[in-house]
Amino acid sequence: MGRKPPFTTTRVSSRTQRSGDPGSSPEPFLAGVPAWIPGLPAVARDDARVDDTSKSVGLGGCFSALRTTLRLVPVVAIVGLAGPATAQLRSGTEFLSPEMQRQQADETRNPAFFWVEQGRELFSRKPGANGQACVSCHAEPQQSLRGAATRYPQVDAASGKLLNLEGRIEQCRVERQGQPAFGYETPELLSLTAYAASLSRGLPLDVRTDGAAKPFYEAGRAMFERRQGQLNLSCAQCHDGLVGQKLRGDTISYGVGTAFPAYRLEWNDVGSLHRRLRACSLGVRATQFDYGAPEYLALELFLAARGRGLPIEAPGIRR
Amino acid sequence: MSFNARITMPAEARAGEIVEIRVLTRHPMDRGGQSDGKGGTVPRKILNRLTVTYAGEPIFRFDMHTGVSANPFVSFTTRAVATGDLLFEWREDGGATFTRTARLTVT
Repeated sequence: MGRKPPFTTTRVSSRTQRSGDPGSSPEPFLAGVPAWIPGLPAVARDDARVDDTSKSVGLGGCFSALRTTLRLVPVVAIVGLAGPATAQLRSGTEFLSPEMQRQQADETRNPAFFWVEQGRELFSRKPGANGQACVSCHAEPQQSLRGAATRYPQVDAASGKLLNLEGRIEQCRVERQGQPAFGYETPELLSLTAYAASLSRGLPLDVRTDGAAKPFYEAGRAMFERRQGQLNLSCAQCHDGLVGQKLRGDTISYGVGTAFPAYRLEWNDVGSLHRRLRACSLGVRATQFDYGAPEYLALELFLAARGRGLPIEAPGIRR
Repeated sequence: MSFNARITMPAEARAGEIVEIRVLTRHPMDRGGQSDGKGGTVPRKILNRLTVTYAGEPIFRFDMHTGVSANPFVSFTTRAVATGDLLFEWREDGGATFTRTARLTVT
């Protein structure tokens, strides 16, 4: 185990947080107050030592994550969420305008269904002269794959790697169909992913975080809670602490990826969750990881576990 | 698959009834102008016109410009007069055309 955590923790009020200056000094009368005292209108703010990214993976990372969790509990209680935060998260759809919610639900107006349609075609098309179509193994996908997307990302038993839906489709294509991989973010992979995810529409997320998935989950949690980038912001600061407030022209949501692959108006296109995460990384001026990078996979698992019970809405529409 | 269309309208209508026709189109609507990496620019490639005829009569025309988003959606109404095909025709920059038909049965 790493060093003992410092006993005192500085806190800033939510007003200071909202001003967009995370580096400003804490209000003096709150400085040094232990974080677990409830009734303080604040988002937990850690000191510089916890921000040390080199500690974020492995035992030290788990430990700091645990400490941060302990500190988050009273905060969660203050914003009115009873029990664990995961139980009360709301889908990003609820942060959209009523008009966009209707557009998302209406297949005749949701452009993402073109990708679903393309995915359905690809699913039953033979990839080569003697190749096998997806449907020759996954017969009756409406039944056999219903609910499959709710269990991703998951650890592949054979390789021990964490695979999301895209990763599983690529693995099937390379190992079972003997075809070259599509590549992340190609229209074909997005279509197949959107189709596979759409088969689980309405079913609750239910990923495993125990056993082999536990280290990935912990790494994802550490990434979610770690301050990063030039803006020195963690995912949790906005997507836990400032939900419902405005960031530029948009409303901050809980950051659950149940609608992805989603049609994003900013993209005029369907994109994967990793594309969205890359946009977040850019937003806080942090390192953008590659599509399918282990960091984003772990984060994807954490987000799915955090939103456990929320229905899959892919393919959704997002701003 | 750069073009696809989803046309939503009732299959049947009574004579004289107003029917709503919704057209969602898949197209990147590339307004062009980006560098092509070789000193030139990428030419504009959008759907510039949608025309709809109903039993041979033109009923709707939509001229699109670069301000129209990718994957445009448009809805309009017409009066059901006689059983016949609605012919949708899109014209793309460069001269390509795409067509779809939908049948309206008037009872």
